[in-house]
Amino acid sequence: MTVEFELNGEPVRYHGDPRTSLLQVLRETYWLTGAKAVCEEGFCGACTVHVDGEAVPSCLRPVGLVSGASVTTIEGFAVPHTPHALQRAFEEHDVVQCGMCFPGMVMSLSKLLEDNPAPTREEVKRGLVGNICRCTGYERIVDAVMSLQHNSGARP
Amino acid sequence: MSVADTPITAVMDYPRRDAKDKLLGRTRYTVDRADANTLHAVLFRSQIAAGRIVRLDIEAARRAPGVRAIVTAADAPGPFGIGIADHRIFASHIVRHHGEPIAAIAADTVAQARAAVRLIEIEIEPLPALLTMQAALDPDARIIHPEWKDYNILLEGAKRGGNVAWEATVERGDTDLAFAREDVTIVEGCYRVGRQSHVPFEPRAVIARYEDGRYNIETSTQVPWTVRSVTARALGVPESFVRVTVPAVGGGFGLKFDCTLEPYAAILARKAGRSVSLVNSRREEQLSCLCRENAEIRIRSAVTADGEIVGREATVLMDCGAYGGEQVFLTTMTAHTLGGNYRLGAVKLASRAVYTNTQPNGAFRACNGVYNTFALERHTNEICKAIDMDPIEFRRRNVIGDGDLGATGQVFEGDVLRPMLERMVDKHPYGVGREPADDGWLRGRATTVGTWFIFVGPSAATVNLNADGSATLVTSGVEIGSGSMMQSLPQIVAAQLGIDPDAVIVKSADTDASGRDLGVGGGRQTVSLGAASTAACAEVREKLLAVAGELLQADASRLILKEGRVAVVGGGASIALTDVIARAEATQGPISGSGAFTAPGVASMPGCAAGHFIDAIDIPVFAVHDCELDVEVATGRIVIRNYRVIQDVGRAINPRAVRSQVQGGVVQGLGYALHEEITINEEGFFDQSGFETYRIPLAEDVVPVELEMFEGAPSIGPLGTKGAGEVPILNVGATIACAVANATGKPVSELPLTPPRVLALLRDRAGKIDFDHIGRNWRDNVIA
Repeated sequence: MTVEFELNGEPVRYHGDPRTSLLQVLRETYWLTGAKAVCEEGFCGACTVHVDGEAVPSCLRPVGLVSGASVTTIEGFAVPHTPHALQRAFEEHDVVQCGMCFPGMVMSLSKLLEDNPAPTREEVKRGLVGNICRCTGYERIVDAVMSLQHNSGARP
Repeated sequence: MSVADTPITAVMDYPRRDAKDKLLGRTRYTVDRADANTLHAVLFRSQIAAGRIVRLDIEAARRAPGVRAIVTAADAPGPFGIGIADHRIFASHIVRHHGEPIAAIAADTVAQARAAVRLIEIEIEPLPALLTMQAALDPDARIIHPEWKDYNILLEGAKRGGNVAWEATVERGDTDLAFAREDVTIVEGCYRVGRQSHVPFEPRAVIARYEDGRYNIETSTQVPWTVRSVTARALGVPESFVRVTVPAVGGGFGLKFDCTLEPYAAILARKAGRSVSLVNSRREEQLSCLCRENAEIRIRSAVTADGEIVGREATVLMDCGAYGGEQVFLTTMTAHTLGGNYRLGAVKLASRAVYTNTQPNGAFRACNGVYNTFALERHTNEICKAIDMDPIEFRRRNVIGDGDLGATGQVFEGDVLRPMLERMVDKHPYGVGREPADDGWLRGRATTVGTWFIFVGPSAATVNLNADGSATLVTSGVEIGSGSMMQSLPQIVAAQLGIDPDAVIVKSADTDASGRDLGVGGGRQTVSLGAASTAACAEVREKLLAVAGELLQADASRLILKEGRVAVVGGGASIALTDVIARAEATQGPISGSGAFTAPGVASMPGCAAGHFIDAIDIPVFAVHDCELDVEVATGRIVIRNYRVIQDVGRAINPRAVRSQVQGGVVQGLGYALHEEITINEEGFFDQSGFETYRIPLAEDVVPVELEMFEGAPSIGPLGTKGAGEVPILNVGATIACAVANATGKPVSELPLTPPRVLALLRDRAGKIDFDHIGRNWRDNVIA
């Protein structure tokens, strides 16, 4: 079966089982390995991508269901050489450790900030309910997100 | 450059150079490196915990679509292990744990490999599975390794026997006399902990190729040289036939401190003549996790009215699972943790790695230090209660200080723990300005102390000075996320050579390019690789300054390296580093230096430690933790209100990075203290096979950890550093347990403190823990 959708701004045609997870298709057909297969049960958020502007775990989305949709992965999210303000904040605050969860963190939190540009710490933490990090203990991730409010001129 | 300047120039919040690509999703971990030409492997594992293999038929699997190679025990006969060679990569006749690999298949796709695995026919005659240490230690228990006497011993001096894989003991002084004294109170307690799973976000993964007669292994590991030697042993080939390289590693926490998947992929690659990828699914990663082991502890002490510990006896049972693994080594660490923190009169310690028919265990950030500290600190507070002494006062009197003896008779240097403890309670005095808990809640606070060590041992480094004035550092270091390859090592080299850290290229591990190294773990990377790098830089500096001295017509001792130039001390003439390098290349060739480091070896008291891999610790590390928490009476739920750490860091050369490690380490400890536990069901496999059933801390569960770095304690690390990444988890379980005991007034003897367990304590339904299989008489617990 063929599934047509838009991937990082380009039209693509996937030929194969429509029940295959979008995550697997991204990683194994298009070699877009930025979305990580960590829990593959929808708990950890490391595979988060944007589907029609919504942050979703790609492990739980059969590729057949993104037919006609626009899919953006971490690779297509930032313009090369000009990372999103959130990515810059993570870099500046030395937040990253092993890094496996961060593509998903960026994809989720960028949507949270779109909906709520001035969240409280608690709101940021609540927003991370579907994004797990095993290295950092979270607080510095929240610090980096909060710094964007004090530095709103830097936002795109 | 005078040596005194080096620490100052090295200290900075140097950012990580790998952050941007990790944030852009461009970093390719081992799990991201398979391509269209790579074969995919799947392991065929035992579905029962113990039995005899009667028949194994792989013919149908061999003929399945897409299958390119299939291997079994016949292909990898070599035994390996730590201390004792008791392990082979495949079960051949006897199955010793659920999930034990029996065969491996490589096929064009993972789905084909899985389908082929289902075609393997096997008959296993079940044997009674010994799933607990109590069952394994029963005098009539079946011997899990009947051939244990024939195993090759890799380290002499330990007692073994029956289902005891390894026994390490400490005997210093006469505890019988101490316990018989009339002026002592005897306090005794039993403690129990479950297994903790690491859950690194990148599971264990490997891609192997067989090229030009050698195995090329690209793998997600903390220990490239262990992978090299174990793979060679397992496959029965010379170690020089194996090359190991390591890309970015997506988390390790100790799980990747052992060789696991690599030999399977290597042997399949050779058979198939293709590159082979073997990646654990999350379920397999979880079910085959080399956990922080479950343990059972009995500890008793004889203490005088003024708090002197005149005698202590303890027995620690560590479940090593079906094979000895890291637990054999870790028996050593009981002496330095459970036997640590406090000055002791006479002491007897037994630490036993016990075989069971369960998945083998491994190393996990601060290892058994975490639960030994839990048991010791809870026991300490029970002592305080029994002799009616304030727990802070008791610790102030008893913590190890300058010139004091450790359990094995090593002499400690410097007063570290006491000033750290005093700083904690001075900064946050007890009983001042505390709000009462809300109705229905109990509030508790506790302060604990902990002792851990830096795992030193061999490291090697080469520094090549490049024509452009940059330097390339070649080591076997691995970036597992802690940042030491990205921050501390380039900072150290840059400070030694007077260049910008950005001008230090750090090569990732390649056993064909770098010298031997014990690996990343035990807080050793900044210390051991840093020391080797410093030694390599010394050789570079000597060569460089000799050439510069000629050019500047000055004695080498009067030259400093600074900002990419060589200058005469006190101003005056200087010359660009690149000009000196050009001159050197013309007269003697390119400049490089090599350096090495190993454990210097600290003395212990002869004859008191048996079966130990390390009799004394070269670099002790101390920590003081303090927590205030609330316990909900109706539910047993625990809410952390604040968490404070004072950590002995030696010297923090990247303070911001140290803070990150402490926050992350404490939160992993909170998971261990509050809810993380692997349980083993009656079939012998784990109940928690994924994120749904094994809960790790979420953002809403955590608090910002208040950290104060304690600097200046003695350390042989470069610039006075100590590892900072491992120790933050050390006393979290202890601190939470003591705070809950203080809040509830109940004897907390078990971790994790899940709400049902806390409720049972609150309602006095939790009976006092006691162990029939750990005798009150210490002598009954050791091999005669």
